[in-house]
Amino acid sequence: MVIIRTADKEKFTVDRDVAECSVLLKNLLEDVGENEEEEIPVQNINSSVFRKVLEWCEHHKNDPRPASDDSAAEESRRRTTDISEWDQKFIAVDQEMLFEIILAANYLDIKPLLDVGCKTVANMIKGKTPEEIRKLFNITNDFTPEEEAQIRRENEWAEDR
Amino acid sequence: MDRFATLEPVKLYASAATSTILGRGSQKVSITQDFIGCLPEDLYLSILTYSAIPDIPAFSRTSRRLAELCRDQRVWEAKWKMFGIENNNLSLSKTLDELELRVKGKSVASPKAVSTTARSLDTGDDEFGDFASASPATTQDLFGAFQGLSLSSHPAALTGNSEPDFRQKFIHVHTILKPLLPSLSSAPHLILTSLFPPPSPSLIQQSHTLHLLALYLQPTVRPVRDHEVLYSSLRSAIDRFQANLLSTFDAADSKKDEDAMREAARASWDVWEGHLRNTNLRVSDWEMGRVWAEKREIFYEQDVWNPLDNFTKDNTLDFTAMDTFMDHILSVIRNDGTIAVDVFPNTSYVVLSYADRVAQEVVGEYIMPLLTKAREISNEAFLRATAAAFKEAWRMVDVLLELKNDDSHVGHTQAEDVVYQMFEQNMDEYLDEEVESVKQAFEVINRDWERKMSAQTGGTIAPTAPSAPRFLGSHNPAQMKRTVLASFTDVLLLPVTIIPRTVGAVGAALTTGGTVAVQGISMLNPQRWVTQNSGNMGAEYSRNFDREDGQMVFELGDDEDEEENEAVSVNRSSISSFPQTTHDASTISTAPTSVRSSSPAPSTAIGRNGTVAKKGVAKPSFDKMDLLLSLDVALELIHADRESLKRLETFAGYPGSYGHRVHDTIEEIFILLLQSMSERHISSGFERATEQMRTYKPAEHEETTSVAPLMQFFELVHIGDTIQSMVQVYFDKELATHIDKTDFLNDVVREKKRFENTLDDSVAAGMNAGTDVLMNQVEHIIITRTKAREYYPVDEAALELGPTQGCKEAIACLDLHCKLLRGSTSKEVLQVFYQEVGIRLLAILHRHIKRQIISLAGGFQVIADLNAYHNFISSLKVPSITADFSNLKMLGHVYVVEDAKDLAQIVRDVTRYGGAYRPEDIYEFIQRRADWKKIEKTVDKAMYNLSFREDCIIC
Repeated sequence: MVIIRTADKEKFTVDRDVAECSVLLKNLLEDVGENEEEEIPVQNINSSVFRKVLEWCEHHKNDPRPASDDSAAEESRRRTTDISEWDQKFIAVDQEMLFEIILAANYLDIKPLLDVGCKTVANMIKGKTPEEIRKLFNITNDFTPEEEAQIRRENEWAEDR
Repeated sequence: MDRFATLEPVKLYASAATSTILGRGSQKVSITQDFIGCLPEDLYLSILTYSAIPDIPAFSRTSRRLAELCRDQRVWEAKWKMFGIENNNLSLSKTLDELELRVKGKSVASPKAVSTTARSLDTGDDEFGDFASASPATTQDLFGAFQGLSLSSHPAALTGNSEPDFRQKFIHVHTILKPLLPSLSSAPHLILTSLFPPPSPSLIQQSHTLHLLALYLQPTVRPVRDHEVLYSSLRSAIDRFQANLLSTFDAADSKKDEDAMREAARASWDVWEGHLRNTNLRVSDWEMGRVWAEKREIFYEQDVWNPLDNFTKDNTLDFTAMDTFMDHILSVIRNDGTIAVDVFPNTSYVVLSYADRVAQEVVGEYIMPLLTKAREISNEAFLRATAAAFKEAWRMVDVLLELKNDDSHVGHTQAEDVVYQMFEQNMDEYLDEEVESVKQAFEVINRDWERKMSAQTGGTIAPTAPSAPRFLGSHNPAQMKRTVLASFTDVLLLPVTIIPRTVGAVGAALTTGGTVAVQGISMLNPQRWVTQNSGNMGAEYSRNFDREDGQMVFELGDDEDEEENEAVSVNRSSISSFPQTTHDASTISTAPTSVRSSSPAPSTAIGRNGTVAKKGVAKPSFDKMDLLLSLDVALELIHADRESLKRLETFAGYPGSYGHRVHDTIEEIFILLLQSMSERHISSGFERATEQMRTYKPAEHEETTSVAPLMQFFELVHIGDTIQSMVQVYFDKELATHIDKTDFLNDVVREKKRFENTLDDSVAAGMNAGTDVLMNQVEHIIITRTKAREYYPVDEAALELGPTQGCKEAIACLDLHCKLLRGSTSKEVLQVFYQEVGIRLLAILHRHIKRQIISLAGGFQVIADLNAYHNFISSLKVPSITADFSNLKMLGHVYVVEDAKDLAQIVRDVTRYGGAYRPEDIYEFIQRRADWKKIEKTVDKAMYNLSFREDCIIC
């Protein structure tokens, strides 16, 4: 068991193998060793998001964990376009929480969760106009009309109409 | 906590990530470089990687940064890889085909296409689709010229990059493939015709195109919105295409048109879904290959062959039937295999799966009832049938490998696996049975032997009767042993036929001319012939012995009678020539008298190999041994073992767990041999011999000078040694290939060591008992042969100086036995033995002298005897006891010194005796002097009193 403290000072007691879904925590735990009294601070994540992430880790703790530098494994991970049913349910949250989870997964270095997030976002984009996408990601339009026209032409080939 | 903070790696990332995440709540728009909107740049990349192609334009129009990311190589590299064209070894030819196809497809549209691409595709894709579906051909050259241009210029113009990168590659393929998609939306039965309008391209090209489309429409690529629908209609189109190919193939097959077959097979193979990703189909599931294999006639003619034909009427094995069966199978495989190799692509392994089927369904089915039947007959038959059937089936491998010289169609191990797998089901039973049968065979041999022996010993006390030494009697026992071993090795090297066949001539010769024994032995196996051979030899000799009234005196060397000599040579020559010629075969079973006429030049045989005779004689002599150990039994054991070893060896190549088991069984069988040989035969034999020696009472055999049991024991040692050498030879020749000889942890090596130790221990124990017996005998001789006044002669004048009768006989006895051992045992053992003899002799002599009364004249007799002993001992060349005996010699002098004072001087002079005797010891000896009572006082005085005064310096 390890104790993890989130940004809003909440403490979580987590099974070691659950925590080790996160590469970041895994490396940390290796450094700490067996000393279980130590609290591990996770400063960038607040408790509500972390709880959600833990839920995911709990469910996936028995999945095989590919070595981080294994490009072949990454390849195959990418290939699976489908999101499992459980993950789909899990990720069915509001937009803000979705991004929080993605960021947390990115920070904690939980590749499979990150993939789930990115795939979900990719699906959300489907068929959206540029304006809608801007709104989704909170991006301001910095194109001049000419530029935009050029970009449009540039990607004409990919349009499906 | 503070302490921990230093360890905390979070700080490392803090600058970018932390601040933005914390800051995100207040200001929505990221201010750091890595953040665009609410996510860091990396995450956009991975989102883009997962998003569909049609979503990319909208994405790129959101902002400059994102537009840049949309052009990012990382995104396109990932997408390109997921497309996976390059993963496929067909890709190159495919893309080339594809170019041509596109040429055809768009030739009409070329002017417009030029304009569209030049204008950066302003008009959109609808036109493309139209062009593709409406495709009469015109002006190909023009388009060809344009093609090269558009390829390099079109994306490069946008990125300012002359080299086609992943994005350009992707766009290229995309623009080629996309126009084909509308065809897929047509009615299912029209898809193929609309994709490949007449004049339709070659089947191979069609299949490549379909394959490309299948890759293109993968869910990971998502090139268009409705890719899922299109993909499923593509799948049905492919199925339809496959079905067409199959009928084309069948038509070609019935016409024996191999080229057409090949083309159809190739096309079908290339579009086969096993190549596509996310399918777990095995190669053997490829329908066309499977269908072809299934149609072969070989699978439908089972009834023609009857496995039970392999048994003769009297239930012996004769694999001629299986021979013909396999010949047929092999020719069929050869024919079909050649076609398959020609027609099917090599990666499809059709040949192999075909061969596999043949092995499983035809050969396997054939072997099963065969073995069942063999099993019913006897275990022996079962074992032999198993090995033989395997050997027959193994011929498939050779044929499979012949089909093509390179490994591309049929790998060596794959071909072997076909047979291995087929045979696997029989292995369990076989291996168990093999071990059991070897155990049983050993048991039978040993029990037979024991029964014979108990009958023998029950009848008379044969071993104690003096019998002529045979091994020992020969001039050179070591040489003889070598020749025995040489012939044994020859026997071992004989070829073994695993497959029983009736080779008419040999069988006939054997059955007609042979004895009942020969008839009994199946004429299947040369090893059996050899066993028979040696048995025969023994029989012949025993016949000879019988004629000589059992009292055979086989004096080796010069005066052997000619008849035997020839018989031996014939035997020898027939051992070597038996398997090949029937002529010799008939000679073996005939009586020695007829041998002379029928055997080919016996005299030359003798001349050629002078040692043959010796060897030949040696063998029967074992046969007649005093029946404690028998080379014959050892030979039988080894042969029984070898037979099953040879059978097992046919399976030695087995891979995997069965390979291990075969290997283990081989080891186990050898271990069993060693165990039964050492425990049942050698130890018990030696034990009995030792026992006999212990019970030997020298007093009961006064008339003999030699110790009969010891002689026999030495003989036994020789035999034991020969057996051990035989085992060693067997081990070296047969087993060394299977195990690592240097691996001292190996069970076999350990067991062999144990066997050797057992033998050594037995010899040592026997030797010990033997020495006891020998020395008892010597003591007995000395005591009985020494007359009462030997050393105190009445007639003092008549003294001829020579050793006494007892001394001479004792030495003769010792000499005889010591010589016997020479040349047979190792030097070390011999030395130990001699030393033991010397030490004990010394003790005997001490005791002996102390029993005597010795006069001055008798003293010379003592010295003469001691000299004789010394001479004998020094002839043994063991330094330590030679020294002891020269000291003993000096001791003799105390009996010839007349003057008491001088005597005392001598007694006290310790150095005279090399320190071996103390004055007190010598004092005891001089008490045996006849005049002791007279000189005692003077000596005492000289030794203890006088010396005191004379030597004391102070006085």
